[in-house]
Amino acid sequence: MLKAENIASQRQYYFTISLLWLLIFILVFRYFQLQILNFDKYSKKANTNRIRKVTLSAPRGLILDRNGKILVDNIPTYILNAIPGELSKRDEKFQFIADVINVDHDVVIKNFQKYYRGRFIPTRLAKDLSFEQISKIEENKLNLEGIYYQQFPERAFPSSVNASHILGYVKEVDRDIRNALQRKNDYELGDVIGWSGLERSYENSLKGMHGIQFFQVDALGREVGYVDEFPPRDPEPGGDIITTIDLGIQNHLENVIADKRGVIIVGIPETGEILGAVSMPDFEPDLFTGRITESDWNQILNHPDKPLVNRFNQGLYPPGSIVKMITEVALLENLNFNPSDEFKCDGAFQFGDRIFGCWYTKGHGNMNLASAISLSCDIYFYKTIKYYDFDKLSSFYKMFGFGKPTGVDIQGESHGVVPTTDYMNKRYGRSGWSRGSLLNYCIGQGELLVTPMQVFNYTNLLATKGHTQKPHFVKNKALVKTDTLEISNDIWDKITNDMEKVISDEKGTGKGADPLNVNAKVFGKTGTAENPHGEDHAWFIGWMKYYEKSFSIVVLLENSGSGGAVAAPIAKNIFDKIINSTKNI
Amino acid sequence: MSLININRLREVPIKLLWAVAFLVFISLVILKSISNHYSDGLVYTPFFKQLIILIPAIFILLCFIFLPRYSIHKYAYILFLFGIIIVLLPFFGDTHAKTYRWLYMGLPFGIQTSEFAKVFTTLALARYLSDHTLKMKKFSSVIIPIIITLFPTLIVMNQPDLGTSIVMMAPILPMLYWAGARPFYLFLMIAPIFSMLTAFHTLSFSIWALFLGSIIILARPTLIIAVFLFFGNIFFGLLSPFAWNTLSEYQQNRILTFLNPEKDPLGVAYQIIQSKTAIGSGGLFGKGWGQGTQTHLKFLPVQESDFILSVIGEELGFVTIAMVLLMIGYFIMQIIKFAFLSKDRFSSLALIGIATIFISHVFINTAMTVGLIPVKGLPFPFISAGGSFLITSFLMTGIVLKLSGNYSD
Repeated sequence: MLKAENIASQRQYYFTISLLWLLIFILVFRYFQLQILNFDKYSKKANTNRIRKVTLSAPRGLILDRNGKILVDNIPTYILNAIPGELSKRDEKFQFIADVINVDHDVVIKNFQKYYRGRFIPTRLAKDLSFEQISKIEENKLNLEGIYYQQFPERAFPSSVNASHILGYVKEVDRDIRNALQRKNDYELGDVIGWSGLERSYENSLKGMHGIQFFQVDALGREVGYVDEFPPRDPEPGGDIITTIDLGIQNHLENVIADKRGVIIVGIPETGEILGAVSMPDFEPDLFTGRITESDWNQILNHPDKPLVNRFNQGLYPPGSIVKMITEVALLENLNFNPSDEFKCDGAFQFGDRIFGCWYTKGHGNMNLASAISLSCDIYFYKTIKYYDFDKLSSFYKMFGFGKPTGVDIQGESHGVVPTTDYMNKRYGRSGWSRGSLLNYCIGQGELLVTPMQVFNYTNLLATKGHTQKPHFVKNKALVKTDTLEISNDIWDKITNDMEKVISDEKGTGKGADPLNVNAKVFGKTGTAENPHGEDHAWFIGWMKYYEKSFSIVVLLENSGSGGAVAAPIAKNIFDKIINSTKNI
Repeated sequence: MSLININRLREVPIKLLWAVAFLVFISLVILKSISNHYSDGLVYTPFFKQLIILIPAIFILLCFIFLPRYSIHKYAYILFLFGIIIVLLPFFGDTHAKTYRWLYMGLPFGIQTSEFAKVFTTLALARYLSDHTLKMKKFSSVIIPIIITLFPTLIVMNQPDLGTSIVMMAPILPMLYWAGARPFYLFLMIAPIFSMLTAFHTLSFSIWALFLGSIIILARPTLIIAVFLFFGNIFFGLLSPFAWNTLSEYQQNRILTFLNPEKDPLGVAYQIIQSKTAIGSGGLFGKGWGQGTQTHLKFLPVQESDFILSVIGEELGFVTIAMVLLMIGYFIMQIIKFAFLSKDRFSSLALIGIATIFISHVFINTAMTVGLIPVKGLPFPFISAGGSFLITSFLMTGIVLKLSGNYSD
């Protein structure tokens, strides 16, 4: 095994030993050079100049409305940091700080523990200090060794609107958030990160880049200047974003809907731009900037109306009659169907052993397709279901963008539900549902659920005959076309004519939406969606042509009655506002 | 049984252990100083962790003392295969800071398997070189040893861990030299690397070319081979700037980042300046235990492991640093001595390999703290905190004690 003899020679041995000691003595000499020969230089450097690395927060980019008016701004506030390694008599100092900023002693200690990352890394004790408070700290600087303050840009909302679900909010980066981030090194504890709305979607443009400063600090911890070897790097402010929001319209929408629950979205159908969008109830946009108390917070969190939920993206509603134009397409696509054939409405319709009623219980009398749309007759659609089947109708719903996110630039969209026979079989079993479900389906009831953003996109498709762009809140980005719809021009024209009659017809359900202006022409459809949880939801969708411009609108009021009576007048109110201020858009 | 055990202990060259004890003592003293500033409680301090790790480390050392000598030789190849497997395993786990160095086995800590693999590689190399009576005067004899070493090295380089892969490659030159390879061939092995590196600087390249020429003339090969070696190297060198320029900037940056992971000049320069200031301000006797102002700035991110010498330099001064370096020098010298005195070739080569691993760690770590070489995360034997390498150091010491004892088995 170990038979091979060692053949190492004396020469090899001495050579190896010499090499070893040569290396060791190079190292010893280098230490000698630093510690003995250059002792004075480094000793001075260590005793009088310690280097501290301080990061400076970059202000986030501004968020502007389409005319450059500021929606989200930054205001300078002060934050108070401690260098743990320089703190003596910690409790005494924390108590003093707590007294100055009017909080409990524990809050300061809690912050200190939360932000602690190392003995010589600035650790945040408090934020949002006023100038007066900082002055008090400054006066007592000699007693507050190890305590420093720094400017910190905080989000501010100077405009009159809330727009809280659009703008979103930022959140302070804590350990958990930081650990979950992909680009960890871009964030430090106490930085802010866009957490919802546009703040989140456009985080990368808004964020900006930290600045770094290297301070020389003397033995007492006083900053004596920059370090020559390391020039400071200034913080780079984040880029501004220009939204499609019109401050005036947004403001008006928020006032109109005021204390109701629901959604209004107003936009430009050709481009998909959103001029204003509200989800009510909402919240003050500065809710998240840190001054909120725990009880206020819990109140908002546990409010039965869920103000934090973004209804236009996440709310799921039965659409009711506003989707009858999809059923209309399904009918017109069948060449055997004749739109001028009349079907009688008695107010009720027996299908199998069930009675399906029309919302107008007295009955509309003889109806053709046009009058069935303008009067929103249900019986007419019940009697014409033989012209398509369940999945055919579903395919038209999907064509109009239902059942999938619209791709709007605010995250967290719901998909909604477009039932298919597969879906119904899975949910109720093969024999658990009948053809009667199609009767609910064709008038926008049943399993069908939509988000208001999908409805907005659908309205834009109707208004542009299928040539709109995806809905969006921020300008200057490449517009994304929605899929082109393969529907013939004849059908589009028929739909447009019928939707005009909804407004202009003597008995049209959408009459209340007409601004009665000679230059304005309105197309629309009302909806009164039954829902299992209470009163009907009122819908109005449509668009107004005013000179050569058009404006689309979606109004949804939760549990407040019929679309024609409640939602249409609100649409009129908004059309009036647009007419009065249209030169600014 | 017990009689045999005591005899085995008596065979061991105990004085080596005094050097280890001294270094471990210094380590604990300085880790205690660092740990004084931890507020999380004793259990989480590097001092306490080091104390705990010493238990398995000493246990492993004892295991090797009581192992029959031939078994190290017998299982050298199996250990080598095992080494390759354990350096591959981290690639199947999650990345840790974008690297695959650490193996997690449901334990609260990771194991840096490459530390063990480099010892096993050295043993396998020692066995290969001692089993085969190779004609070491021939150049072709060095090819297989290089392949043996290159295999685990390439894996570790992809983890990526340049520091450890350098240490893994390091033993091959001294071991080949010790096994009788011509120094000229060893020189030829590393010559292309110098040709490539100096090619970016005209003066360095000219000096290198002169040096290379002189060595080749002194070695007196045949004319054709001499011309081939010389111009081959020059051509290689001249080609490399050209090859470099054909790379896109993105690829160049990746190579630079690989060679120097902390490429951010602000980051590296900053650490080195902090380290040098800490060391320089320590002076002859240091600022006193626990009094190092620079050290406790925490600007050095890994002061308990990679930059621990800076802490010793600042708090305990040049006297202690010199003692530490002389002591580790003495320790390594003893290993080399045993390698020379050893009766069999396997022990001799294994000892030289282990001595090389120790000296590589000592030199790279120490030179880094004083800014002689770029920052490479390699720990100092017996002193730096960190489980895997501490255990490996004790494991290597156990092998040294075994292989350098008398020959009762």
